[in-house]
Amino acid sequence: MFSFNATKKLNVMKSIRYKSLTGLLLLIVSISSCRKGLLDPLPNDRVSENIFWNTENDALLATNALYTDLDSTNVITWDALTEIAHTNQNFDTQAFIELGSYDIANTKIYNEWSKAYRGIRAANYFLENVGKVPSSNTTLINRFKGEAKVLRAYQYIKLAGFFGDVPLITKTLSIAEAQQLTRTPITEIWDFIDKELSEASALLPATYGAADKGRITSGAAWALKARADLWAGRYQLAIDASNQVTGYSLYTSYQNLFKYAAENNSEVILDKQFLKDTYPHGVFALLAPYSQKNSQSYYVPTKALVDSYETAAGKAISDADSGFDPYHPYDNRDPRLRFSVFVDGDILPSGITFKPAPNSGSPDAVGSTYIASTTGYNIKKYINTEDYANPANSGINIILLRYAEVLLTKAEAKIELNQIDAEVYNAINTVRTSRSDVKLPPIPAALSQIQLRQIVRHERTVELAFEGLHLFDIRRWKTAETTMPGPVFGITYPDASNKLQTVQVVSFNRVFNSSRDYLWPIPQRETNLNTNLKQNPNW
Amino acid sequence: MLSMALALYSTLLFAETNNGRNIKETRIHLSLQHASLKTALQQVEQESGLLFICNKRLLNRYTSFTINKTDISVADALSLLLKETGITYQSKDHLVLFSRDESAAPAVKQSADVVIRGKVTDDKGLPLPGVTVKVKSATAAAVTDNEGNYQIRAADANVTLVFSYIYYKTQEIPVNGQQQVNVQMEASAEQLDAVVVVGYGTQKKTSLTSAVSQINGNLLVQRPVSNVQQSLQGLAPGVTVLDRGGAPGQSNATIRVRGITTFNINSSSTGGYNLDKNDALVIVDGIEQKLADINPDDIDNVSILKDAASTAIYGSRATNGVILITTKRAKENKLSINYNYYYASQNAINKPEMMGLEAYMRMQQVAYTNAGAALPARFTDESITTWVNATDREKYPLPNVWFDRVLRSAPMQNHSLSVAGGDDKIKTRLSARYMTQDGIAPNFKDEIKEVKLNTDYTAAKILKFTGDLNYRTNQATNPTVDPFNNLFHGSLWAVPKYADGTYGLSTQGNNPLMFAEIGGISTKFDDNLVANLKAELEILPGLKISTQYGARIQNIQQKNFTNAYSNTDKNTNITKTIANNSLTEVRNNLKEFTWNNLLTYDKTVGKSAFRGLIGHSEISNTQNYLTAYRERFYNNDVTSIGQGANDGTKSNAGYDAKFGLRSFFGRLNYSYDNKYLLEANGRYDGSSKFTGDKRYGFFPSFSAGWRISQESFWQSLSSTVNELKIRGSWGKTGNQSVDLYSYYSALALTTYTFGGVSVPGYRMSTLANTDLGWESTTQLDLGLDATFLNNRLSFTADYYRKVTNDILLNLGIPATVGLTAPPQNAGSVENKGFEFNAGYRGGNSEFKYNISGNVAINSNKVLDLKGTGPYITGSDIDPRYIVAKGMPVNTLWGYKTDGLFQTQAEINSYPTYAANSKPGDVKYVDLNNDGKIDANDMTAIGNPFPKYTFGLSGDFSYHSFDLNFLFQGAADVDTRLAGALAEMGNQEGFTSSVYTNNYWTPDNTGARFPRPLKFDLRNVATSDRLIIDGSYLRLKNVQLGYTLPKEVASKVHLSRIRVYVSATNVLTFSKLNEWKLDPEVESGRATYYPQTSLYTAGINVQF
Repeated sequence: MFSFNATKKLNVMKSIRYKSLTGLLLLIVSISSCRKGLLDPLPNDRVSENIFWNTENDALLATNALYTDLDSTNVITWDALTEIAHTNQNFDTQAFIELGSYDIANTKIYNEWSKAYRGIRAANYFLENVGKVPSSNTTLINRFKGEAKVLRAYQYIKLAGFFGDVPLITKTLSIAEAQQLTRTPITEIWDFIDKELSEASALLPATYGAADKGRITSGAAWALKARADLWAGRYQLAIDASNQVTGYSLYTSYQNLFKYAAENNSEVILDKQFLKDTYPHGVFALLAPYSQKNSQSYYVPTKALVDSYETAAGKAISDADSGFDPYHPYDNRDPRLRFSVFVDGDILPSGITFKPAPNSGSPDAVGSTYIASTTGYNIKKYINTEDYANPANSGINIILLRYAEVLLTKAEAKIELNQIDAEVYNAINTVRTSRSDVKLPPIPAALSQIQLRQIVRHERTVELAFEGLHLFDIRRWKTAETTMPGPVFGITYPDASNKLQTVQVVSFNRVFNSSRDYLWPIPQRETNLNTNLKQNPNW
Repeated sequence: MLSMALALYSTLLFAETNNGRNIKETRIHLSLQHASLKTALQQVEQESGLLFICNKRLLNRYTSFTINKTDISVADALSLLLKETGITYQSKDHLVLFSRDESAAPAVKQSADVVIRGKVTDDKGLPLPGVTVKVKSATAAAVTDNEGNYQIRAADANVTLVFSYIYYKTQEIPVNGQQQVNVQMEASAEQLDAVVVVGYGTQKKTSLTSAVSQINGNLLVQRPVSNVQQSLQGLAPGVTVLDRGGAPGQSNATIRVRGITTFNINSSSTGGYNLDKNDALVIVDGIEQKLADINPDDIDNVSILKDAASTAIYGSRATNGVILITTKRAKENKLSINYNYYYASQNAINKPEMMGLEAYMRMQQVAYTNAGAALPARFTDESITTWVNATDREKYPLPNVWFDRVLRSAPMQNHSLSVAGGDDKIKTRLSARYMTQDGIAPNFKDEIKEVKLNTDYTAAKILKFTGDLNYRTNQATNPTVDPFNNLFHGSLWAVPKYADGTYGLSTQGNNPLMFAEIGGISTKFDDNLVANLKAELEILPGLKISTQYGARIQNIQQKNFTNAYSNTDKNTNITKTIANNSLTEVRNNLKEFTWNNLLTYDKTVGKSAFRGLIGHSEISNTQNYLTAYRERFYNNDVTSIGQGANDGTKSNAGYDAKFGLRSFFGRLNYSYDNKYLLEANGRYDGSSKFTGDKRYGFFPSFSAGWRISQESFWQSLSSTVNELKIRGSWGKTGNQSVDLYSYYSALALTTYTFGGVSVPGYRMSTLANTDLGWESTTQLDLGLDATFLNNRLSFTADYYRKVTNDILLNLGIPATVGLTAPPQNAGSVENKGFEFNAGYRGGNSEFKYNISGNVAINSNKVLDLKGTGPYITGSDIDPRYIVAKGMPVNTLWGYKTDGLFQTQAEINSYPTYAANSKPGDVKYVDLNNDGKIDANDMTAIGNPFPKYTFGLSGDFSYHSFDLNFLFQGAADVDTRLAGALAEMGNQEGFTSSVYTNNYWTPDNTGARFPRPLKFDLRNVATSDRLIIDGSYLRLKNVQLGYTLPKEVASKVHLSRIRVYVSATNVLTFSKLNEWKLDPEVESGRATYYPQTSLYTAGINVQF
């Protein structure tokens, strides 16, 4: 009973079905055939490890990257954990360290730990792989190795100073390996540093051409070794290493030492190099007074430091015959005071006068806002007028080691060994008298070891203030327990009735526990992840 | 078998035409699922034992029957099947002969004005009062009385009567000359035969064996929201929407389906661990899209797939649930035009209130005195008197009036137009939307324009095409300098704006009003194009193949311009200078192509019904990101990137990214007698985010259901419990949310400088993990669906337990490795809980109502971190969170406290948090009894993710009025206050009026808050004192509508006009009310765009 029409319709239907099915299948086949790479996209926004380590230039590029692990403006934060400076904002995690209320979870401590090990890993990775580079220029490859070794030792010196015993890692680690680490006794860390720096010094040149200014020299290796040996109490080694640091001399102007014009001068042994716009930091915004485009005064000097500067005649201001006038406290002082610290009456980069007294009505007045300096002092080192236009874009190199430290290291080591001779006096007096703008009287002759120890410590404190050494010094000297506890004081100023008032940071009483605080705790995150890491005493 | 093969027109004559005894008395069971007429007749023949004789030419192949009758006479079954087919039949003995109905020709008009009577009964045979009876294509209408009787006058006895009643199927009965027409109403298919959208298909609600929540699109547009996330809140159990408002164009709502399964460890975060990986997969018409990008008015239906049985078909992207959105399409040939408009007025719900002037100044006196510091000039007694008595607030400004001066009322408007219609071949729906939303703070604005075209072509009955196109452009602007932080912080004592138009400045140089008004503007243009083509071919009856190709293209263009300006406070001389203007431009182009191929097959054999699906899918995604910066433009109006200084300060950056996903999947459904239901799903996914043998993952699921109510033993109960189904499922799903190329060992470019010249360098920064594999979630679900009282009351309950294993964690490595952590497969998280949903639909034709409520309980626990952790983020001054074994993800972490120290003796005998503690300081508990208060004393102090969430919604309509409401809330959830909210004025921030006269002094030792202590945070370390119970109940929305009488509408040639008013976020019960904070506030400083309330008026018009 099928009609002709029905059959035709059915055929049409069949035909549609057939054609459509063929069409769909063709489409599916054709689209899928051109999608082979769907699951294997190769990133074009990064460089594969597999194509690297093929040329000398690869080795150079990898060496360059290692320098980014050097410290920079963060060295100032360490001084703010000592009596000479203060973290201005009471709610900063670093302020809790000052207060003694910090704990194993403190992020500042974790950050220093992880930053150091990041640098160590980068150097280990470099040293493991640089050998793959086919090169007949052994001198060049050795120089790269020397740079990497010094940069790695640099991190270990810091770690030993912060934490004491730390894991000594000399190869790249897997996660599992890192979870098995134990702390290496600090003496072995010092041994390693000594060995590495000695080896590196032989691989490195004494100087570089203009295009490579800022690279590690053999002098830098020796100077770091001197630093490490001093901290380790290996005084003779420190003296020997100091003697190897040649070709450097004190820069003629202390005031200009931290200015753009003096970058790469004869005193700088190691610095972190910066470049405005391209590789900048924000030291101006970090440290300059609040009136300077709302800069942050993040770390500020304290009365303890300011008072320790001698008078121009070389006397302590506490001396009855020093001639110190509390109404004009900054006159006739060691010139380094006003080269290092902004004090009342200074002209600021914007051209205005710095007026920190609480009753001055200035934006910088103590108490006007929590951002203004709470002590009435601001750090002046590295604060350059050139950076005022754009405070977060500073290109000034941050000095990590300069020749004055080497001189004082040598002097201190000799004093500790009681090798008191002309070299000791010479080293200290060079720092006090040889610059065009620092002409303090030489120290008196024929002092005892104890007197000289006091003098060299004082000299280090003022000469190297805010350069990241004082925290390690007070730990070595074990003076923190006496200098740290108590309130933090600032400027002394005449009130409305011309009576002298001294600024005290509100609600800030430092606590220092001598059985605990000479070493930082191993960060909680690390001990959680690796139970083999034993904690420091009393943490 | 049906004697089709005879192909023979029987010439047998029947003595008894039409109604043979056999077919009336023989009762059969009829169970059809998408069956053709042929299949249906075959089943009737088989069941009845009769012999059917038919010319197969008569049978329309494309009708589809889904009928389920346990006891029906053959006659009734045939009349059901042959309705509208033009086929009639004759029967004698066991023979039934089918033929074309020659009498179906137009009837001869008979005499006018007849009265038709009858009785209407419900599906149980009981009288049904209130049923509307109408004569089709005429105006006559009647309503049944209490006995279900009606009478109606019609033009003749050949009219068709239309019987309609709420929740029952509307029936059209041809009178055929009779005077008595009795009707048995059938319960509406809406509930029984409701179809639920599931992955790659649909399923009847009754045969569903998995946990799926369905939300009708109409519910989503009941309150004005700028995005769909917000509108899902409170509507489905197990779907937790945390709505923190959000600036226009920048939603701040997150959706979690059944809790938090995973987390990203990110050491730099202060807001806890990044939980973005918990976002549900959103599929719109088969293509993955962002929820924020859908026009709520275009949504027909939202399905939320919650258990593994329903989500496993999406395999590696399904762990966090799947949200399936179906957009509206033209359904009828008739042209329909809809226009919706609303105008809403937005206001910040909560404006935190500053302490009164004198109370605040006195508290500062106490704070300085307690700190042993001299009083600053402003807080001396003399100064306080001056300040309090002053009237010139330009000279003596109030400390904080920002919430009143920066926040304002702002309008929001939405126009939405749709045109739908077509013919049998082509149907289209075109929609357009234009929305503008002003911000409640200056320079916030959003504008959305979009069009969507959904087209369906029926090339032949077996071949269909759809083509959809959606273009949307969203232009959002906001101030470049976010003002909200400064509403709380660093902005006290500044005059917002002097009469002369200059701004006042706080001592820190801040003025949020100035920042918002003149700080510069950021504009984001977000263009989206989605094209979606699909072809579907029915190869054989029940066997279909379809292919779909979708393209999603998103171009984001952003211009963030910071103005240069200088403003000096004329009273204090404090100056704020932005010396350089600057511009950051961003281009982000994303292209994603999805290609889906499906083969589906439906087959019913006897009582067994099979449905099968196999599919293939590929997704490829490429992204290109570019950013450029320049500064020092000629002025703030010259803002083209080429006009900035062309020197070392200009910079740019960018990246490319690609990924692909290739999948094969399948599903098998089997049901026996519509009673026993089984389903299996599987998906095999390959992702470019993994390598080697970890590249592919397999994700299976199994589920089963038993419709107890279909069993014969249930018959006695079936009038009470109409439907009862229990179901269970088990399955595995995955998560591939991991950064691209994580397995790829790569070196990153660095910059350094030697001798004043920049040099490049390369270093490894992130550890590569080639062992990286899928994160997988195993989920068990037990559920129950029931309906009662003639299907008016429905109830659903679910229990689930899902365990996520091999969580892709980002940091858990010792810092001694020296690299940023790669993602690793480590850790397990468990979520378990219950979900309940109940709904009741009642009323009569005049008054209808519909109430539904839902409750979800979720417990979250970290089961294992593979020996690593705990991971703690945050600090003493911001919320601390912990991820640790045995605790919920991101538990709030801190000290327990035991009130305040009242005496020095008490202090001397107990360890203190800070040295020099004094009476009135917080007593932190030395939990480990080691004599000191430190990190080791911290413990769990709160849960930031709600354990209970609930919603209650109601719809009422009475004549022309309709009313709906939605209550929504959460319980067992905590918020940790931080910043100015917690500091109680000890720093230089906003100070809540909560503290007024409620801080410890020697005269007020019972105070709730500790003693004020200037610049000291000892009393606000992270502790349970700062935890506020975040439980709340909120009337999210209430809307009242009125539909104008038809006569009015038709006068202006419209078929329907409805006007409405609504109020959103207007009533909240919460402990955060006293802080004047939104209950959904995130732990922390609350420094974001405030949640808003809306008052709305709108109109819906149909042409």
